[in-house]
Amino acid sequence: MTRILRPLLVLAALLVPPAAQAETTLNVYISSALRPEVMRQAFDQFEKANPGIKVVPQLGGATSDLQAQYLNTVLSAKDSSLDVLMLDIIRPAQFAATGWTLPLNKDVGNPTAFLKQYLPAYADADTVDGKLVVLPAFADAMFLYYRKDLLDKYHLPVPTTWSQLASEAKTIQAGENDAQLQGLSFQGAPIEGTVCTFLLPYWSMGKNLVHNGHLTFDHAAAVKSFDLWLGLMKQGVAPRNAAEIVTDQTRKDFEAGKAVFAVEWAYGWSLFQSADSAVKGKVAVTDLPAVDGGKPVTCIGGWQWGVSAFSKHPAESVKLVKFLSSVPVSTLLAEKASLLPVFPPLYHDAALDQAMPWLPQALPVVEQAKSRPVTPYYNDVSNVIRTQTNAVLAGSETPEQAADQMEARLRRVLR
Amino acid sequence: MTNNTTRQAGLGNARPAARRSNPASWARSLLDASDANLARVLLAPAFLLLLLIVVYPVCRLFWTSLLDLRLSSGMPARFAGIDNYTSVFTDPEFWTALTNTLLITLITVPAALLVGLALALIANLPFRVRWPVRLSLLIPWAMPLAFVGMIGGWFFQSDYGVVNDLLRHFRSTRIIWFNSGWLSFIAICLTITWKTCSFVALVLLAGLQTIPQELYEAASVDGAGPLRRFCFVTLPLLRPAIAVAAIFRMITSLQTFDIPLTMTRGGPGTSTVTLAMYIHQNTVDFLDLGYGAALAVVLFFISMGVTTLYLRQVRTEL
Repeated sequence: MTRILRPLLVLAALLVPPAAQAETTLNVYISSALRPEVMRQAFDQFEKANPGIKVVPQLGGATSDLQAQYLNTVLSAKDSSLDVLMLDIIRPAQFAATGWTLPLNKDVGNPTAFLKQYLPAYADADTVDGKLVVLPAFADAMFLYYRKDLLDKYHLPVPTTWSQLASEAKTIQAGENDAQLQGLSFQGAPIEGTVCTFLLPYWSMGKNLVHNGHLTFDHAAAVKSFDLWLGLMKQGVAPRNAAEIVTDQTRKDFEAGKAVFAVEWAYGWSLFQSADSAVKGKVAVTDLPAVDGGKPVTCIGGWQWGVSAFSKHPAESVKLVKFLSSVPVSTLLAEKASLLPVFPPLYHDAALDQAMPWLPQALPVVEQAKSRPVTPYYNDVSNVIRTQTNAVLAGSETPEQAADQMEARLRRVLR
Repeated sequence: MTNNTTRQAGLGNARPAARRSNPASWARSLLDASDANLARVLLAPAFLLLLLIVVYPVCRLFWTSLLDLRLSSGMPARFAGIDNYTSVFTDPEFWTALTNTLLITLITVPAALLVGLALALIANLPFRVRWPVRLSLLIPWAMPLAFVGMIGGWFFQSDYGVVNDLLRHFRSTRIIWFNSGWLSFIAICLTITWKTCSFVALVLLAGLQTIPQELYEAASVDGAGPLRRFCFVTLPLLRPAIAVAAIFRMITSLQTFDIPLTMTRGGPGTSTVTLAMYIHQNTVDFLDLGYGAALAVVLFFISMGVTTLYLRQVRTEL
């Protein structure tokens, strides 16, 4: 009898899941380019503190555009396969309008008091029409990276205007006599980074593109913005193929020692300091230059955590999002992945000094950075700006033609 | 009516007689009598499947194209009549995308046919070992389109591309292919031609192998040289295969998407955006489902129109 019973009991034990296995699985959508191995460490910490909840990362495309395309497809189908989403700072308005993320107002007590702990730009960007759409994950902004060794060699100061940058770059290019050395690398391909390329000089002139959802396009400032980049190309400071350059190409060129200055997001820093980098120990970072007579200004980036409105585990997902948007995780991301913290005190934290010695310099830049147009139709707006800027840099349209086209197309989008 | 009456009468009387006289004719008459019903039953699954996977989505697309359904607006769908279609025909970007798509079709279909024909003639030569030639023909055809687009993008990249490396021997300055609308267009057309000529070659190779050898021998006896044999034997007999290859190529080239997307992302500016890319952009990126559906309906009719015209012209040859 026992000979029959024993295998039956073993089979039953295998077939009936034990209570401990009845755990909740949260699928978290993250970028494949934003250090998933470090994100995994944060998920491990959460799992340890919350037995019964398993976190499974779902890796998305490397760029913000690719991720948005995937999320648009999945969420417009009301698919419940994703619980927690990592979103670019340009997305909350769209997600608020579509209702694809759960409002978090009730989960954070008093939202105004809760958001005061973060950098002000993120508290603003993550709240749309009073709804707390997402919580900050990490900060980012466009910075000016420069070759400190070359500036020191030619006794040149850190440039504060674009014309000063052009003049210094030409001095160094002539002095180094290296045909491969670019003065400045920036993005001009029809990608998201090119939106910031257009906006940097435009904003520096004190102009805004969209205000309260309405177009406030300044034609003359747009032409001047295009002229500035074309001028840098014509002077030989920026490469002639700027219209081909994507974000990571700038990073690669600067890392290979092929550029004196680079306009790049914060992720470049750790790679420039890596063992394979040709510029390790030779790089410094500062805020972006201003146009002559203008103010220095930069484009804010950064990523957020949101809970999918279609998640079957909203309570657990909210718990995870609150954990991921906490000081310990922000510290971990800064320490291990060089991702900028969203809590101002961390920029002066001695514990992060070794991993990110430039944090104190980054704080004023991030604090003053501007948001790209806040509108639920951001994808349409972004497409207009990037394609017209790309057309000018490629030489297929004049600055005047492109500004006319940009205005007409933006009017149709924001009709 | 007469047929039905006969059939019903047959069910009652003629069939037992036939059954008795000859089993084979009995079976035939059974099928004859109920063939309409039998056909209905046998065709029903295929018909239902077609309804589900073709008719329903197409009808749904038509319906969506009549709605103002812009997900980013946060507003529910609203019936908009023909508003989306009016917007399509007054949208300059639509006309740019349509012109690009038609140009790609006009350039790459004949180019792929010419190159494919040459490749098919080479592959049809009496090689001792044939499989390496056939395999090399298959490789571009088997590659995913997006993969080919990425390869094309690297080939024509101004700094480290193979094309500029080759051109370096003939000119001192490098060409920045993706800085110019028409150079980008040439790069895209060359890549599409390379990718699609192998499909054309395979179809034409199959056609070439159906031409009887005796015709060539007879033409040779009559004094025809290789060129006359090609013009008066090969080409006329290959016309049905050429027509099939051209129709397939034309339909797929009207839907060109992957190669320009991965090579230029539609740039510089919007100079290489195709209609399929514009539909994808409006639907997936901008979440304007109503407008995207209207664009898709327009592409559907263009594809149908071109195919119908072409089929009418080549009907006799097919």
